[in-house]
Amino acid sequence: MNFDSSLFLDLFILLFSPAFWLAVSIVFIIAAVLGYWFRGCSTHIKLSIKEANLKTQQIHELEKINRELESKNRELYAKELELVMANKRLQSLEAAKSKFISVTTHQLRTPLAAIKWTFDMAIKGQLGNIDEDFKKFMKKGFQSTERVISIVNDLLKIDTIDSEKSEFSFKPTNLVELVDNVINEFSNQIKSRQLEVVFEKPNKELPFLEMDEDKIRMVLENLIDNAIKYNTLGGKIFIKIDDSRLNSAESSLQITVVDSGIGIPSGEKDKVFQKFFRASNAIKQEPDGSGLGLYITREILEKHNGAIWFEEGKKGGSSFSFTLPLRQKKV
Amino acid sequence: MNNEVKTFNLQDLNIQFYKMAKKILIVEDDEFLRSLNAKRLETEGFEVSIAVDGSEALTKLTEIKPDLIFLDLLLPNVDGFEVLTKIKQDDTTKNIPVIVFSNLGQPEDIEKAKQLGADDFMVKANFTLDDVIAKIKEILK
Repeated sequence: MNFDSSLFLDLFILLFSPAFWLAVSIVFIIAAVLGYWFRGCSTHIKLSIKEANLKTQQIHELEKINRELESKNRELYAKELELVMANKRLQSLEAAKSKFISVTTHQLRTPLAAIKWTFDMAIKGQLGNIDEDFKKFMKKGFQSTERVISIVNDLLKIDTIDSEKSEFSFKPTNLVELVDNVINEFSNQIKSRQLEVVFEKPNKELPFLEMDEDKIRMVLENLIDNAIKYNTLGGKIFIKIDDSRLNSAESSLQITVVDSGIGIPSGEKDKVFQKFFRASNAIKQEPDGSGLGLYITREILEKHNGAIWFEEGKKGGSSFSFTLPLRQKKV
Repeated sequence: MNNEVKTFNLQDLNIQFYKMAKKILIVEDDEFLRSLNAKRLETEGFEVSIAVDGSEALTKLTEIKPDLIFLDLLLPNVDGFEVLTKIKQDDTTKNIPVIVFSNLGQPEDIEKAKQLGADDFMVKANFTLDDVIAKIKEILK
């Protein structure tokens, strides 16, 4: 009991000792500081993880947008070229129409002139005397002839549009470099479709080819784009430049693009270069396509005095080959 | 009295005209057009020669030495543009007036003919033979 009361007394004294309170407050301060520090640490870590996630997401999005932009760009260029081609076709149609009108109207005008002169001379009595009644009929005839002549003249007012002048500008170009560039352009798509691309170049250095670089770039883009789009995941693309005809009379190079993709159904092979044609299996794989790519490709190559043809790939897939002459004939 | 004077004047004019009858060469491959034109010009007192194609036109040109030429453009053998070029290149014929009388008539045809030295361009179907006579008189006056 004595012990108990002394302990109670000790405690009572302790409560009033400043040392005790100092110790207590130090402990509290340390606890508070430690608590704050730990909490700060964890939020900081949480924040930086969140930030990193956000950044990678943004980068992915940017890459995606970039890829989309690239493909949109190519589409735009293709559309522009389509328009140029369509315009040219219209121009040559116009020229043909104008020529038709000019020849036809000329053929019409000669007999019309004969009828008109005859009526006129008859009315004026230069072909002999006629009575007034007969003259009235002759005048009607003259007026009708005049009407036909004015219709013919109106038709002739449709001016001939200048016959199509080539907008192609041919310059010596390094074909190997161009193919390399185009393959590089598609590196994203090639990666995302896990395709293996092999470009087989001749051993020796090739002479520069006279071509419109932008248009041949279009040709290569069309062919390689098709080889990617209509390929299977993890498929192959084989591009080859064949120089075996470089030393022949019609010096030319042959470029072949082979893919291991879906190919073209055998019944539809004859139509691949037709305007607006799309193979039935191609529509399934890629619903959005104009069906003008290969048509334009062939038009471009024909302007270069080259040719393009399609063969079935050895293991399915498609093989497109085209030739480009070393020099363009001077017009 | 008045009438007499008038008659006398007309006769005088006709005699004068006959004396110096102007020679006109018509180059035209269409037979009917050619005959109508020739008939009309003859009744007007002109001395008319005819050529049915370009090469005949060139021979008649040196033979006759016409005062005026009516030239069609679309002709067999040598075409009208070539005939016109030759007329205007030759010093002995270059001063003979040439009226291109054709059913071509597109701006480029007219421009080309004028550049080669044609004095006028008439589209056959757009004129009557009276207009033709008026044109000749205007050029030869």
